[in-house]
Amino acid sequence: MSRSTPVLETIELTKVFPGVVALDRVNFDLLPGEIHGLVGQNGAGKSTFVKILNGILRPDSGKILIDGKEVAIPNPATAKRLGITLIHQEITLVPYLTVAENIFLGREPIVKKHIFKYIDRRELFRRAEEILTTLGVDIDPKAKVKDLNVGEQEIVQIARALSENARIICLDEPTSPLTPKEIERLFDIMRTLKKQGRSMIFITHRIEEVFQICDRVTVLRDGKKIATVKVSEVSPQDIVKMMLGRELAEFYVKREPRVEEIEKVSKVPTLEVIDLWVTPERVTEVPLKGISFKVYAGEILGVTGLLGAGKTELGKAIIGLGRITKGKVLIEGREVKIRGPVDALKHGIVYIPEDRRREGLVLTMSVKANISLPSLYKLCKYLGLIDLGREEEVARYWIKALNIVTPSTKTKVANLSGGNQQKVSLAKMLEVKPKIVILDEPTFGIDIGAKVEIRKIIAKLADEGLAVILLSSDIDEVLSLADRIVVMRDGMKVGEFINKNVSREDIYKLMVG
Amino acid sequence: MGGRSNRSSHQATEILKAFWQHEVSKPFIAFLGLFIVSAVLSPAFLTPYNQRVLALQTAPLALLAFGESMIILMGSIDLSPGSTMALAGTVAAITFVHYKQPLAIAFLAGIAIGALVGFINGLLVTKAKIPSFVATLAALVAGRGMVLILTGGQPIVGLRAFGVLTMDIGPLPTMVWLMFFFTVLNFFLLTYTRWGRYIYAIGGNEEAVRCSGINADLIKLMTFTLAGCYYAIAGLMMDARLEVAYPWTGWGAELDAIASSVLGGIQLTGGVGSPIGPFFGAYVLTLITNVLILMGVNPFYQWVVKGIVLVVAAIALTRGLRYVK
Repeated sequence: MSRSTPVLETIELTKVFPGVVALDRVNFDLLPGEIHGLVGQNGAGKSTFVKILNGILRPDSGKILIDGKEVAIPNPATAKRLGITLIHQEITLVPYLTVAENIFLGREPIVKKHIFKYIDRRELFRRAEEILTTLGVDIDPKAKVKDLNVGEQEIVQIARALSENARIICLDEPTSPLTPKEIERLFDIMRTLKKQGRSMIFITHRIEEVFQICDRVTVLRDGKKIATVKVSEVSPQDIVKMMLGRELAEFYVKREPRVEEIEKVSKVPTLEVIDLWVTPERVTEVPLKGISFKVYAGEILGVTGLLGAGKTELGKAIIGLGRITKGKVLIEGREVKIRGPVDALKHGIVYIPEDRRREGLVLTMSVKANISLPSLYKLCKYLGLIDLGREEEVARYWIKALNIVTPSTKTKVANLSGGNQQKVSLAKMLEVKPKIVILDEPTFGIDIGAKVEIRKIIAKLADEGLAVILLSSDIDEVLSLADRIVVMRDGMKVGEFINKNVSREDIYKLMVG
Repeated sequence: MGGRSNRSSHQATEILKAFWQHEVSKPFIAFLGLFIVSAVLSPAFLTPYNQRVLALQTAPLALLAFGESMIILMGSIDLSPGSTMALAGTVAAITFVHYKQPLAIAFLAGIAIGALVGFINGLLVTKAKIPSFVATLAALVAGRGMVLILTGGQPIVGLRAFGVLTMDIGPLPTMVWLMFFFTVLNFFLLTYTRWGRYIYAIGGNEEAVRCSGINADLIKLMTFTLAGCYYAIAGLMMDARLEVAYPWTGWGAELDAIASSVLGGIQLTGGVGSPIGPFFGAYVLTLITNVLILMGVNPFYQWVVKGIVLVVAAIALTRGLRYVK
């Protein structure tokens, strides 16, 4: 295998965006039947690289070779013809069409009768069934895509790639939204594809996955290739060091839990939730069944659980986005009615959403305008006129305080990296000077460097006397930061610990049930 | 010596670049280009008399375009401008002619009815959660019906006194000054106030605005109401210009208002566009009609030319996007 011609090779591939070299003379090769990991921090150039291979972006210089022959890939259609396909980070399916229709979108089997042409639906479903069977999955080709869960949707995307008979499949962070079980299933499918001789480029944030599934791994940093190594010859620590230029232990910010002293000093919890029941408003939401907990000032409450455990629903219910059917919310011992984020803000509660692009930021606006958005009322003196000088100062303050990397305060947030977007999302809600901060997966989908910074910020918030609720599926994050840990499963609280002598395994067992 | 001239030419390119990247540059260039072309095509175009007519015709449309553009910036759409302006014009005329109220009261009644229509639109969108397209479509139809009921389908005459809007103050008629005033006001509102900022933010990402603890419903309600006032003022201007409250005033004007916004660089997806763009949009649209009339082209062709200009403008404005809906 190692001696055969690479199916894909790039020589000195370079891509320049205004102000940044996204890819700097990258040499890369992919062997037949190989799963090749591609890792690096956000902004390292991973996505840019696979986008060039798929004709979504065009390189500024360098060559691409397929089976040893130089090719030009000006558009995705050419990429498909060459047998290359990309499974996007985001799901790119049409929700109201069936699985089969999605798999064969644009290539439906056609029947001709006289002058009429129409889709042969029976053949369509038969073929879809066939492909899904080769993947060893049990998904009904007649089901609508919107009714599938994220893991199944991803498999449908892979099935579509197979139906195109792709030889080179690029997977851009396919595991991010998946549960451990779904990831296992995805890996099984990838092994099946490998046996069929197909090659895969696998982008991931999670180093351990590289070691589970990849043959070789290429590390990118700031657009440059640091190394390509055989997975069997290195350790995870080596990879992380290559990605960051620093050690794995520095990932998590260790904080000493101090529940007892806090309870002694402040007798009344800043926020107390008693027996909270929430009915979902959309089918995708999880109902909450009788959740109770307390958070004190200066404390971090870690709420952990798998995807679909109800963490986001809990966060949203507290700020009034959710139909509460039963239960009480007490702030500093007094019961309050919160009918929406406007009320929540009045009581000093802010929620920093997991999906920052959809719920956190206005991407068409500048960094400055985003930071000042929730606190504009503080920047207006008379007639609702915004004090633009103050606004600039506030933006500069937060850019410095949270180390937001942006060319200027006027830069559109859409042009920032994920980590910096998250910091903007944090800054805007911290500027309203809240008492209670709810963070929903604050380090999700951002690069490791930014994760560390965000974790330091979270620790600092508690030190400054805020009550912090950290909703996170990363057990290590919760273990390293939280004073108290609540574990959720299927919308219920299944455990609560003081963060002392609790093991990772105890929590994990409760999470999966 | 050479170095300095190099630097100044470099500065000039920087300024040009900044201008080109500004949202209002393309509408402004279109305006300038069409203005020059018109002057070349017809000798009558540049005469003071024609320019005055042009300004008088632009004023009501500019007001409609300002209202419409605020709604579009929020990511909604408003189909009611034409009917609202007619209703406001009718109510003002009835108050003045039939109830013999002073002019100021008549104007206020007209503006109040415009505000009411806008307010109802806002309520339908925020409280009844009806998409703005449907809610304002209902207002378009029902509003016109109200006008016909109130007027019995007959024009209301005797609006001489409305001429305060068309008489000259200095070099220009009152309503042209008003148009400039509202251009400046609209610019200030959308650029320097909280309200304006929220309008852009709602158009950019309403979910984020709501999660930030901002009362987005209130902003929408206020904006629809203000837009209604703008339409009403346009209605008063129409009364003044024609000296008649004509029941079919503003028939189809919602499309001119939307076209003006689009020509002015306001993106229909919301959140993007310059506050003064719609002014240029309205001016260009009026100018096309004006010059075609001057050239003696069959009036029916105006619609075709407007359509083509709109398509060309839209292509220029959406170039670089991967796809649109």
